[in-house]
Amino acid sequence: MWETLANLGAGLAASLEPLNFLMILVGLAIGIVAGALPGITMLNSIVLVLPFTYLMGIVPSLLLMTSIYIGGVFGGSITGILFNIPGDPMNVPTTWEGYQLNRKGQVRPALGMAIMASAIGGFLSALILTFASPPFAKVALTFSTVEYFAVVLLGLASVVVIGQVSVAGALISLFAGMFLGTIGTEAQYGITRFAFGLAVLDTGIDFVTVLIGLFAIGEVLDQLSGVKGPGGGDAVTPATARAQLPSPRQLWALRGSILRGLGTGVVIGAIPGTGATVASFVSYGLEKQVSKHPERFGTGVLEGLTASETSVNASTGGAMIPLLTLGIPGSGATAVMMGAFLLHGVQPGPLLFSKSPHEVYTIFVGMLLANLIMIVMGLIAARCFAQLMKVPEPILAAFIIAFCFLGAYALRNDMSDVWMTMLFGILGFFMRRYNLPIPPLILGIILGPLAEQYFLTSMVSHGNDVTVFFTRPVSAAVLLTTVGLLVWPALRWRFGRGRAYEVRKA
Amino acid sequence: MRIPRGAIGPALILLAGVGLFVAAGRLPVVPVPGQLGPDFWPRLVLIGLVGSCVLKLLEVARAGEPAAESGPSLPLAVPKLATGMALVLGYPALAPLLGFPLTNFLFLLAFMRLVGTRRPLLLVVTAVLGTVALLYVFVKVVYLPLPKGAGVLEDFTIFLYRLLRIF
Repeated sequence: MWETLANLGAGLAASLEPLNFLMILVGLAIGIVAGALPGITMLNSIVLVLPFTYLMGIVPSLLLMTSIYIGGVFGGSITGILFNIPGDPMNVPTTWEGYQLNRKGQVRPALGMAIMASAIGGFLSALILTFASPPFAKVALTFSTVEYFAVVLLGLASVVVIGQVSVAGALISLFAGMFLGTIGTEAQYGITRFAFGLAVLDTGIDFVTVLIGLFAIGEVLDQLSGVKGPGGGDAVTPATARAQLPSPRQLWALRGSILRGLGTGVVIGAIPGTGATVASFVSYGLEKQVSKHPERFGTGVLEGLTASETSVNASTGGAMIPLLTLGIPGSGATAVMMGAFLLHGVQPGPLLFSKSPHEVYTIFVGMLLANLIMIVMGLIAARCFAQLMKVPEPILAAFIIAFCFLGAYALRNDMSDVWMTMLFGILGFFMRRYNLPIPPLILGIILGPLAEQYFLTSMVSHGNDVTVFFTRPVSAAVLLTTVGLLVWPALRWRFGRGRAYEVRKA
Repeated sequence: MRIPRGAIGPALILLAGVGLFVAAGRLPVVPVPGQLGPDFWPRLVLIGLVGSCVLKLLEVARAGEPAAESGPSLPLAVPKLATGMALVLGYPALAPLLGFPLTNFLFLLAFMRLVGTRRPLLLVVTAVLGTVALLYVFVKVVYLPLPKGAGVLEDFTIFLYRLLRIF
């Protein structure tokens, strides 16, 4: 314990060295901006800065990357709350509640809560990373594709509770998304499925094009079609463009949501291959389940926003656990960070803590600092982005579509991605008009391919024996939770507590 | 017998699901003993999709005609919407021919006019400045190889890039 504290002290001193501190600031700024812009992902930014790290030592390199990571997972919530355009799929649940709060004239507390929940989630997960990495890593190491499949299934099941017009409508949307995820070249046999001779479909449909199209362009077209103004929709322009941080009393009132989001984020983040997106959907679904007023979710509920935003940033600390303790990168971002370690001749893994404690603890302290500084940077970023809400609606609407074009094109420098985005935008309009919920489709296209991969690999490993999902304890526990998640609404309704539980538009 | 409006969408998706299920059976599979084929997962998903459509149809039938939440709820500004959709689709269609700068300028001009900006000077200035700003950020800073257009328009785009010192 004392040794850890001494290492942390040394790490703090090292983190405050000018270059290291500068890297934290630069990384956060890059991450927040990249995360906020649809199509320019946090992962792209981490990859783009990798060449610059050749010139630096391992510590500033890793501080730069982890700060981009921390800023990036938060950034998408700003545009989600302001314009109903989540920067990344992981920010979708935050967008559901945040944008509704915006429409109710509560954009400032929504932005403030998103910033604070992100900072708290990230900070506490970094603390957990510092003190509890080894036991966490041991548990995560026992997971196989069987457990991964169970966790992904839990994420998919959350569609039933995240709130929609009808369960049947949500399921149509979910399965349609899962089907879209099967289009393109299949991994196990290498054959192309459902491309129908169209070269554009051979490589599959990138979920970012679906996300940008359904949310951003669909929203603009929806506003264009009716009596409401386009662009910012019927969101209320704030009197002042400053986020309003929650008071300690407000934070205390939301402690349950924060703790549930933290737990979900750290645990799911620590499981390789799942990450922040699954964590945000699961924590949102969980929050709705435990709420006394689940029927209000989707209308602008701070608890939902708080839980999902806490879990997203909590997953950053969780994702670092397998990387640092086992040398296993569990996500794209941590894989690039592993590359940075190796470039500097450092092998992440069990020996890292004994061979390079100075570097490890500087990174830990850097993560703690980055989450604290993010409160200030988040306030500044929210203020800058909120200025956009004062732009006249016709100009805003036209530029939103121009940014969608550029965001989609930037994915692979391919016009086919832009076509996909525009076509999904039109689909998004019709889904809105006919009250087919959009979030399940997004969930399906992201998690569907993961579910297929884990399911088929499990079947190959266990001779097509499906009982393996029930005989392995962790998988069985997660599946039981999934069943509970699905059955709980019916039980609530049956036993009276939730008779007022009404389905609503997502 | 009149078909409820809310049943049309699920019925169409159901038919598509059945068709795709059949198509999945025709995937070129090289059987590997002890392994599930590439058609297994899509078929499982399509069974779920068809089942959900059946559920939805039952829901619509039970709710009566028409299900309250199954149809459009707000009046549509159809000409405006159709023009908006045409512009959204015309944007990627024209970009490879005209080049991004010219297409973007025309798109911004047309879309802002469609949505409600009336003043010609504001329209032109915003479209020009907006296009130049986007070019600076995405060509100069991000190095995005945006479409330059075809033929003489490619020369025009390159001329413009040189004028802006971003090429």
